[in-house]
Amino acid sequence: MIGLPGWLARYFDSGVELAPEQRLRLDSWHALPQADLGKPLGSSRCVVVDVEASGLNLLEDRLISIGAVAVDTGRIALGDSFSVVLQQEKASGRDNILLHGIGGSAQIEGVPPAEALLGFLAFLGKDPLVAFHAVFDDTMIRRAIKRYLGFRFKHPWLDLAYAMPGLNPPLAQRLRSLDDWSNHFGIRNDDRHNALADAISTAQLYLVAVAQANRKNIKTYHGMQSLEKMQHWLNSSRT
Amino acid sequence: MEPGHLLWMLERMRMAYYAEGEVIISPEQGEADRFMVVKQGRVHGEQSVAQATGTDAWLELVEGECFPLGALLANRAVTSVYRAGSDTFCYELAAADFNTLLGMSAAFRDFCTRRIANLLEHSKQLIQAQYTQSSAEQQSLTSPLSAIIRRAPVTCAPDTSVRNALALMREHGIGSMVAVDERRGPLGILTLHDVLERIALPQIDLDQPVIGIMSTQLSALPPQALAHEAALAMARHGFRHVLVVEEGRLVGLVSEKDLFALQRVGLRQIGSAIRNAGSVEVLQLAAADIRRVAHNMMAQGVAPEQLTQFISTFNDLLTARVIELECAASALCDTPLLAGVCWVALGSEGRFEQTLNTDQDNALLFVAPEGMATEQARQQLLPMAERINAALAACGFPLCKGNMMASNPQWCLSLDEWKQLFSGWIMHGTPEALLHASIFFDFRALYGARHLADELRAWLARTAADNPLFLRQMAENALRNRPPLGVVRDFVVGKEHTLDLKVNGITPFVDAARIFSLAAGVAHTSTIQRLRQSAPRLNIQTAEVDAWIDALLFIQVLRLRHHHEAGGCEPGAATLDNLVDPERLSELDRRILKEAFRQARKLQARLAMEHRL
Repeated sequence: MIGLPGWLARYFDSGVELAPEQRLRLDSWHALPQADLGKPLGSSRCVVVDVEASGLNLLEDRLISIGAVAVDTGRIALGDSFSVVLQQEKASGRDNILLHGIGGSAQIEGVPPAEALLGFLAFLGKDPLVAFHAVFDDTMIRRAIKRYLGFRFKHPWLDLAYAMPGLNPPLAQRLRSLDDWSNHFGIRNDDRHNALADAISTAQLYLVAVAQANRKNIKTYHGMQSLEKMQHWLNSSRT
Repeated sequence: MEPGHLLWMLERMRMAYYAEGEVIISPEQGEADRFMVVKQGRVHGEQSVAQATGTDAWLELVEGECFPLGALLANRAVTSVYRAGSDTFCYELAAADFNTLLGMSAAFRDFCTRRIANLLEHSKQLIQAQYTQSSAEQQSLTSPLSAIIRRAPVTCAPDTSVRNALALMREHGIGSMVAVDERRGPLGILTLHDVLERIALPQIDLDQPVIGIMSTQLSALPPQALAHEAALAMARHGFRHVLVVEEGRLVGLVSEKDLFALQRVGLRQIGSAIRNAGSVEVLQLAAADIRRVAHNMMAQGVAPEQLTQFISTFNDLLTARVIELECAASALCDTPLLAGVCWVALGSEGRFEQTLNTDQDNALLFVAPEGMATEQARQQLLPMAERINAALAACGFPLCKGNMMASNPQWCLSLDEWKQLFSGWIMHGTPEALLHASIFFDFRALYGARHLADELRAWLARTAADNPLFLRQMAENALRNRPPLGVVRDFVVGKEHTLDLKVNGITPFVDAARIFSLAAGVAHTSTIQRLRQSAPRLNIQTAEVDAWIDALLFIQVLRLRHHHEAGGCEPGAATLDNLVDPERLSELDRRILKEAFRQARKLQARLAMEHRL
């Protein structure tokens, strides 16, 4: 049998077994049209996400839970939210459990990963994503999807960790973490390190960002991404 | 609130962010479209009237508070501009979901009503503030129109489109627009009142020239004409505006509203007309004036306390003049007999709580002069009393159906006879005695020898307070009339689906106040004063009494408005009733009315406790 080129083989033979019904759902997600990132923010939907993992190591740690909430036409739609705990083969370490509060049994009783991720994709659709320190969330989700759904998840992200300093240069030196920025704008979170509660806090910060961007005449997701890129460039040129 | 309902609400809520200073909702945005809860931050409600500046916030909402309930419940626009006082996050629920939730959750409904009761208190203070302010600015109806004109009139050309004319009115915040020719001669007028009938309902083309839909029958006066001439012109033609025209050119516009501020001082004219009236015929005209002014005041939304005060003042004045005229006619003037006679008002008149459809309730109290038997004095007084009753009837105060009038020998008594009569009622406490007590114990002197009424009042206060059994019987009787609230806090209506605002709404307050005042030895007869003055002596909290009074006043407003809408401006329009169909009230009024009835229930609970019932 003639072997497929390596990259194509990886694509087709991902070594992932999905039930036909799951395959069908994944295909219909793939078939969705791409979001128009040039649409005004006030009239489109995006999804703010936060994940909890077994640790902070991007290569080794596992995705434990995803929390997400939609921001639709400029408002956080609390009813349009998503939260899932992924079933783990073994529970994460004690220190980690203390951080996010998802106990060992909850981790083991969670939703089977493929099912959890399909649920997330169905919730997300093709709408763009927003997160604070998006690289972490993106990597965790991408690795999980690769492993359990067998494809490369490539999706537009907006990182508030860069967009906020871009919008508030005078504050950028002082405010670093999500907690810093939340405190500054009086955003309270009574359940920090719960993925959904953190997603809602991040979404509130995003609403502030949208209002600020609007005043600078940045009115699209695409415009926000450009701002983020500029800030990346600024940061790297500074160091 | 039940967890299920709470979840239902949360699922439908959206969270919005408002930067400091941003307008969240304002009157211009039309009917309130969402219910909001402040999640974090501060929201300021500012009066949207012209004089409000950015800084004089009168309402501050903080975390956990919600708005704009009044507007949502009444399906109207907000009356204030709500602005974020700091970076603010609000939970928002669409108006449709809000209404569904009201229907679903009794707890939520209850919460909203209570919140409104607080707001009501707030708005009342606001109205009072405005009221005192406007009295200070009062001018007389004898001011020339030139002194009343507030600003140059906003005008347009006759061929301006309807759309542009309306836009101009909105821009300037004015209620009327006058079309003028090149020489500023007025051609026609369009008022906001016309918008519904001439524009909105016929759905006319907004691009047509405005002159086509204006009224061209104009009422004009020169600037030196007096305010009362304008008032008369309006009354005669039924116009709401009078144009002020100098040498054919429009120089100003005077509206009904501008004149209203002047009217209360202008009432002096009605007052002096009454005092100087030489015949019942003149008084009949004055009585008609009083009714008309009362209806105007009602239309302008004057508070019921002030309105009933106005009616009592003028009815007293008129009654006193009728008595003077009839005394003179009966040749009793300057006799020793007349020096010892007091005309006494009973029932609602005694309580200063007359409305426009109040029957006569009166009596005579006298002390026969030296050398004259009581019976002899009575026989001399009765014919005069009869003429007074007849004259009052001619002025539009219907004769009392139960014949509780001074011309009835039963109620034309000497001081000693009254004391004996009252003693009998207090001792025996028969149903009839209790009924009579509820009318007669509200007596007050209206004309003549006031000291007799004062003496009787002081005696009654002592005697009643010494007879707890009698007070208990009165309380028991009063508690038979329960406010019409069902167990599920909905209205209990009769077969006709109506509530009697007087019997079911006002009477519980009036009865309880009477008993409190008798127990506390308070001499005042007005229900509000009775409640206020009795409270400290009975150890009732001020806040509690204030809530009762607010509730009473609200029911009174509804009742007066009902009378006003029934349109009984003619004297003797005795068909005015107090029956209201709660289904036909606005959502807001209905909720406040329920709250008012709940207050009546609390008041009765207090009464029951006081008398161990």
